[in-house]
Amino acid sequence: MNKKLLSITLAAAMTLSMGTMAFADEAEASYENCTLTFDWWGGDTRHQATQDAIAAFEEKYPGIEVQANYGAWDGWESAEALKFNSQKTADVTQINASWINAYDANGETFLDLNTVADTLDFSQWDEDILKMCEDPVGGLASVPVSLTGRVLYFDKTSFDEVGVEIPKTIQDLLDCGDAFGAYDDGYYPLVLGAYDRALFMTQYLSAKYSKPVYENGELMFTEEELQEGVEFIQSLVDHHVIPALDVLDGDGASSTDQNPKWTNGQYAGIYEWDSSFAKYAGALAEGREFVVGDELEEMKAGTFYKVTLSFAISAQSEHPHEAALLINYLLNDPEGIKIMAAERGIPASAIAYETLSEAGLFDEATMEAHTKIFDVATYFLDTAFFDDATLKDVAEGAFQDAFSGIDYGDYEISEAVEILFEALTAVTE
Amino acid sequence: MNNTWAKRNTGLLFITPWLIGFLIFKAYPFASSLYFSFTDYNLFKGISTYGFMNYINVFTDSKTLKAMGVTFRFAFMEVPLKLVISLLIAYILNFKIKGVNIFRTAYYVPSILGGSVAIAVLWKALFNNEGLVTRMLNTIGIQNTPKFLTDAGWALFILVLLRVWQFGSTMVIFLAALKGVPTELYESASLDGAGKWRQFFSITVPLITPVIFYNLITQLVQAFQEFNGPFIITNGGPRRATTLMSILIYNNAFKQWDMGLASAQAWVLFIILMIFTAIAFWSQNKWVYYSDEEAR
Amino acid sequence: MASQTKAAALEAARMHGEDPRVVRRRRIGIALRYLVLILVGIVMVYPLVWMVGASFKPNNEVFASLNIIPVHPTLDGYKSAMESYGGDINIWKSLLNTFRIVIPKVIFTIISSVITAYGFSRFKFKGRDILYAIMISTLFLPQVVLNVPQYMMYNKFGWVDSNLYLPLIIPSLFACDTYFVFMLVQFLHGVPKELEEASRIDGCNIIQTLVKVVVPMIMPSIVSCALFQFMWTSNDFMGPLLYVKTPSNYPATIFVKLSMDSEAGFSWNKVLATSLISMVPSIVLFFSAQNQFVEGISAGGVKG
Repeated sequence: MNKKLLSITLAAAMTLSMGTMAFADEAEASYENCTLTFDWWGGDTRHQATQDAIAAFEEKYPGIEVQANYGAWDGWESAEALKFNSQKTADVTQINASWINAYDANGETFLDLNTVADTLDFSQWDEDILKMCEDPVGGLASVPVSLTGRVLYFDKTSFDEVGVEIPKTIQDLLDCGDAFGAYDDGYYPLVLGAYDRALFMTQYLSAKYSKPVYENGELMFTEEELQEGVEFIQSLVDHHVIPALDVLDGDGASSTDQNPKWTNGQYAGIYEWDSSFAKYAGALAEGREFVVGDELEEMKAGTFYKVTLSFAISAQSEHPHEAALLINYLLNDPEGIKIMAAERGIPASAIAYETLSEAGLFDEATMEAHTKIFDVATYFLDTAFFDDATLKDVAEGAFQDAFSGIDYGDYEISEAVEILFEALTAVTE
Repeated sequence: MNNTWAKRNTGLLFITPWLIGFLIFKAYPFASSLYFSFTDYNLFKGISTYGFMNYINVFTDSKTLKAMGVTFRFAFMEVPLKLVISLLIAYILNFKIKGVNIFRTAYYVPSILGGSVAIAVLWKALFNNEGLVTRMLNTIGIQNTPKFLTDAGWALFILVLLRVWQFGSTMVIFLAALKGVPTELYESASLDGAGKWRQFFSITVPLITPVIFYNLITQLVQAFQEFNGPFIITNGGPRRATTLMSILIYNNAFKQWDMGLASAQAWVLFIILMIFTAIAFWSQNKWVYYSDEEAR
Repeated sequence: MASQTKAAALEAARMHGEDPRVVRRRRIGIALRYLVLILVGIVMVYPLVWMVGASFKPNNEVFASLNIIPVHPTLDGYKSAMESYGGDINIWKSLLNTFRIVIPKVIFTIISSVITAYGFSRFKFKGRDILYAIMISTLFLPQVVLNVPQYMMYNKFGWVDSNLYLPLIIPSLFACDTYFVFMLVQFLHGVPKELEEASRIDGCNIIQTLVKVVVPMIMPSIVSCALFQFMWTSNDFMGPLLYVKTPSNYPATIFVKLSMDSEAGFSWNKVLATSLISMVPSIVLFFSAQNQFVEGISAGGVKG
């Protein structure tokens, strides 16, 4: 998606917003009294916002009661998977795009949302974006809540300490690494976990070879190209740009924002989603300046985007119309939009985007990151494959295996490439 | 007639609950997992093929082979170490020791609390890179301390230590057994001039071999199933150095939902454990000494 | 063998005069014993005591020294341990959930195990020995093998993630923790049958005999079983990990693991405080019934 696409969406939002209001009134007229279940995961602020929005929804539609079930991410997917498996899917469920392939391959878990098109206003989304949520048998499994991509963020205080500028090109980044290493062996301008490395490599290769990692269900990179990508990541390790994974493991933190080395600026940069600013800024020691960086010049052309989260309705739901009303309220009704704000990322729904922009409800830094990504974003990251557990899982996944194998000295680069190539191919079969 | 039938089968009536439970909750799952081990059953995709592929996978897949090796290494470090230490401490406690109860309690507490998640958390705090043990070693002048939990060579050993640290319950069992060794035997031995150590090896150990055997078997069964430590403290890492079979089975079954493969892995593990148990039982003729007909 | 006895005899001769060297050696031996015991004792207890101390330290002090007593004592760890985590669950609620599992499970286990043990030890019936052997052999059946098929079965029953913890509790109605049956059978073997016979002659039926005569006699063993089941169940991690999926139903073990994952390396005092709170019931129980624990475990082991 590029600037042009974005402006078209915005224009569409302007013209449609009036229509939507009428649309909502019409739907309001008829619904049954019922109880809906609604499952989501997230952090405390998201829980609060969503609960508030539910309360407002219940007030607007008296007679519909919403039972919320929410928790932290850890263990959440397996719990939901189990519900899907035993026909206990909640009426409305927040899902990851990779879940569609994993749990709705036959289209029997989630309702084809085209059947509630009269309630849920699809005109708020770009058609290409909706396509990302289709299941393998062609039904629309969910509606995207937001889109996101990855961008660099830096702890400027550390860069000032070391005495280098925030990098704009790959060469800058390598120089920064050398400078950081010379300053103090424990200092790095960037920190990447195994999955971050896989994404960074993807962006690098997409820029270089002008193709996404997956297209039409097939892996686009050849083994030789992957080799180049892995070598690129290795050059980052060699230039002291990123810590080797054994060093990172040694910190014993389960994620970067919980790593004391992040808090005190020893790791001075991350490559993260556009919604990550607050989380990482909050984890920094007081007085440190945290900034959104740019996509690196040579990598801009490879910038990718994906559906962050989406909402699905159970195929077994006894009240699909009311469930659709709820989703529409959360994503397309100005009242619900304002309460939900950007708790699930910058909304993909045009009217939501418009409403929040006007109300000034976007966090400035998040917006900056979002804009930097979507100004140049070209490729869709097919997370149905890329986020498959066989690739992404921290314990068993191929990304972890391949990259940490090199760092721990178990694999030659060629062996790691072979593992990556096989695993990336296997998920499409 | 009815009366005698009832009389003859009252016992059966009493054990019926257990029998039902055994059939439903143990025998049926046990048998069904054998069936599933010959399928590619995925909880979300069902069964598409039957055959030996899972077993072939178990004996050829490098991940499974590594997990098997790690499981062996874990069991063969943990069980002997724990038995030796608990027997030794029990032996010392069996002398007339002042404050024996205090010592016994101190040694026993970790094994009672030890299975809990909280203790695993404590272990992580102790052996972290910046953790207490590192700090301790630095204080006594040892720099360059190993990274216990992220060094593939150390991580498994740290998990072994956690289990060995919980030697309390095996020790209590040994202690009870030692109390049963008639003191006259020691007296006559020391009259013969046998030193304490010789007494230990020539009198004590032979007499308590049945208990050693009991502890050996129970500890072996436990060690082969170790899960909490590697799952909570190291999550199977670094580089699969602590991915025991139990972890691998869990990941396959409950993360990938590959119930067929997981069942086959569980069966192989079970058979190996049975082989070790059988060896132990078979060898008991050679070293286990039963004092009377109590031997089963 | 012959040379051994000879050497022994020689040593005995040397010992006769209470050689001062022997006395000294014995003293050294005693000192050595205490030294070993105390050193091992420190290794056993220090981590636990340190954990208590560390939970009262501010975060930057947790690993700063080996001290047990905090330099700047604070309740911050405990205050933040009270916060709910990621949803409708906090440490107190999770402890309550633990009890919702433990209490029924202990009661059911005791009732079903006593009945089964009574059946096995006091009645002759066809196939008894074989069934008993089967029961004993299930002690060696690793839970790892059963997890996968049991999970599929409970899933089919619709028991997974049930609000009543059915997969964790129902099996205990059927004496599925055979270790306890085994323990009770061992104990019953040591109890004379005369009293039971007398009560039968007095006109009590079998059930009355069991309740009024047998149960009081084997009470110590029953208490041991209850204690162990309490301890094991409240420490159980795998069971809830597989079968409890709704955050508001998490027992303490799962809660502690989650709070460790989200906070370790960041606020250790909170993690340690949470862990300690989760252990309080077990610790209290242990210190109030220490001897039963020791006797219970010895009884199972020695006779087995």
